[in-house]
Amino acid sequence: MRKELRRWAEILRERALAEGLSFPPVLFEEVGPEEMAMLAAYGGFPRRYSHWRFGSEYLRYRETYRYGLGRIYELVANTYPVHAYLLKGNTLLAQKLVMAHVYAHADFFHHNLAFKPIPKDMEAEMAHHAAFVEKAMERHGARSVEEFLDLALSLENLIDPHALYIQRQAGEDKEERPPDRLQVRPYLDPYVNPPPAPPKEAEEGASPIPLPPRPTRDILGFLARHAPLAPWQKGILEIIREESLYYVPQVATKILNEGWATYWHTRLLLPLLSPEEALEFAELQAGLLAPHGFNPYRLGYLLLKEVEERWDKGRFGPEYEALPLGERLTYERPTGLGLKQLFQVRTVHTDLSFLDSFLTPEFALRQRLLNPEELPRFPEAKKALLFRLTNGSYPIVELVDANYGNRGEILLEHAYEGVELDLKKTQAVLENLYRLWGRPVHLKTVVGGKETLLSAGS
Amino acid sequence: MRPIERDLLRFKEIVRGEVKKRAREFLTREELFGQVEGRLVSIPLPQLELPKIVYGEPLGEDLGLGGPGTESLGPSGHVPVAELELEEFLDLMGEALRLPRLRPKGEGEVTEEAFRYTTIARKGPRGLRHVRRTLKESLKRALITGEYRPEAPLLVPEREDLRYKAPRSKPRPHAQAVVLFALDVSGSMREEELRLVKTLSFWITLWIKRHFPRLERRYLLHDAEAWEVTEEEFFRAREGGGTRLSSALLLAEEILKRYPEAFYNRYLYHFSDGENWQGDTPQALEALRRLLPTLALYGYAQVQGPYGQGRFLEDLKEALGKEEGLAATEVHGKEDLPLALRRLLGG
Repeated sequence: MRKELRRWAEILRERALAEGLSFPPVLFEEVGPEEMAMLAAYGGFPRRYSHWRFGSEYLRYRETYRYGLGRIYELVANTYPVHAYLLKGNTLLAQKLVMAHVYAHADFFHHNLAFKPIPKDMEAEMAHHAAFVEKAMERHGARSVEEFLDLALSLENLIDPHALYIQRQAGEDKEERPPDRLQVRPYLDPYVNPPPAPPKEAEEGASPIPLPPRPTRDILGFLARHAPLAPWQKGILEIIREESLYYVPQVATKILNEGWATYWHTRLLLPLLSPEEALEFAELQAGLLAPHGFNPYRLGYLLLKEVEERWDKGRFGPEYEALPLGERLTYERPTGLGLKQLFQVRTVHTDLSFLDSFLTPEFALRQRLLNPEELPRFPEAKKALLFRLTNGSYPIVELVDANYGNRGEILLEHAYEGVELDLKKTQAVLENLYRLWGRPVHLKTVVGGKETLLSAGS
Repeated sequence: MRPIERDLLRFKEIVRGEVKKRAREFLTREELFGQVEGRLVSIPLPQLELPKIVYGEPLGEDLGLGGPGTESLGPSGHVPVAELELEEFLDLMGEALRLPRLRPKGEGEVTEEAFRYTTIARKGPRGLRHVRRTLKESLKRALITGEYRPEAPLLVPEREDLRYKAPRSKPRPHAQAVVLFALDVSGSMREEELRLVKTLSFWITLWIKRHFPRLERRYLLHDAEAWEVTEEEFFRAREGGGTRLSSALLLAEEILKRYPEAFYNRYLYHFSDGENWQGDTPQALEALRRLLPTLALYGYAQVQGPYGQGRFLEDLKEALGKEEGLAATEVHGKEDLPLALRRLLGG
């Protein structure tokens, strides 16, 4: 079986390369269900810092498998080389399908622009984080570190998802990086660089530069730099921030990435199937593309097929766009650009832009997402879907002022877009922020249709 | 231990702490009642979810792409679920509510077959080989055949020397119990009071069962007359009429005859509003005096609303308050449940 798997890994790799995919080396490993549950709980890595949340997730995955409610066929980590885990005990066909699927994921990680700034050595990085947390636990007590992790994790979505893509001009953000400091991983900073000299008396008092210089969404980063915390606590905030940023593109490309992988495993495997395998393949495929729940595999796959067809049949460009809907459905102008277009889509899009560009009324009609008479509500429905894909379904919150009312208090602002916040949870998060910042924390949002200031600590 | 197992242990520890903290709340959580028949109890503990700034309503989509299903987009906030063995759950509840351990009254008669590896056989699986006995046989053989030399005591067991541990079934006495619930349905019990009774008898049953796995349950209703019912009828029933507490006690005495006290730990629970007919109380007390020494516990819970005027509790305490095996308490509302439960179990 092992040998057979290896043989097929090679065959599929060659086919994938021949068809135009390209990717770094992929290492496959077969793991049992418990190990798979562990890897899933750890977000695809063999080692994470110690926290009960992973234990809870692990239990959930393990029980889900045990009661036969679902199994994880595969996990891929975006690393160099790419690490992929296959579930031991699956049939050879399932493993073949999964391997083809994985090669496409690897190709996606490698080429999609959203993944450009993501470090490829995250496996080692996560292990460093684990070691850092363990050390902190030894020194400061497991419970106090756990308590701090609980606080920090409740802020894990308060990051600027674009942080890794922004290249600031030199000197644009003075406060961001003082000179004369070694550039190291942020959490190492307090250990490598000496603490800044205490301010001279004359410099004390009001700083002329407002803090932060401009509103920022990078609240975790801001706290790590400015909150009155011990170095290990700042280190933990940096760790949480860095790991959150790592997952940003994965969350932002879920539909496209899964659609891409499904498109390719279908394309690579179909010609290789023996007649006996065809039925099993169909069964697996049907399960994968089943229309219950919001199924990113299904939506991504169908939409990519649609893009391929449109660009094969010349259904694009100003001439096509100008046609009325009815004619667009049957328009044909052989161009054969489908595959080329697919590769481009895989490179430049995230889910949000992908759906925005290609989720058309024609597609909705063809896939029976809507009846013709329901077409008028298509724009609204699409808008709701796009909203859901924005910022990983999290509200957008900015830190506006860290010296609110000249009292050293923090003012946050929720970019209200018509959906209100969960007040109980938000209040709990504000309390957590207050504990970190040591001064009252406020959040401007809309409650019951009225602008409201939520506060903690005052 | 793998790090993930450590995280899991820590999670379970946190869950146990949370269950204990919320024991009072679970007492009245009726959705639990259904599950506890099984072996595992699972309780969602949203309190353990790490709070985040999230939207207050699920973000829908309107394109028939499937509603909130198995695979949902966005924040994957899975509510942590505590999965506990029923016994562990009960022990945590017991600890938090300081419920007393129940001690068996004498040994029960019913025996349980228990296999113990106490004998030796000539055949058996390799894993059960009894080395010492095998060598002993070897030595015997060596001595008989004269192969044994004390200066070089080498023993080589042969096939016929081999001895194995073997099981033998052993009867084991096992404590058993019967619990009898009597409910006064004389009309003054409202829906809310009945709910309290249901909650109490549910937990009483579980707690007794925790100590006596062989537990039989009997139910009776009464107003001026008493009659036996099934469990479901017990919780559904509503009748009207006067109250003669003695009727229940006499019927209980009759039913319990089938469970001789020598072999059974007999528990009798009586829920009433305490508004007994004048003139019946002496009779009831008389019956109780006879019954009490034969019971493990007689629990009397006077359940009444804000305007209740029952006085049987006082009469009972006055007449029999010093007797052992009497557990009497008053319940007015939910908030009395933890204490009432402890009292009724003899704590």
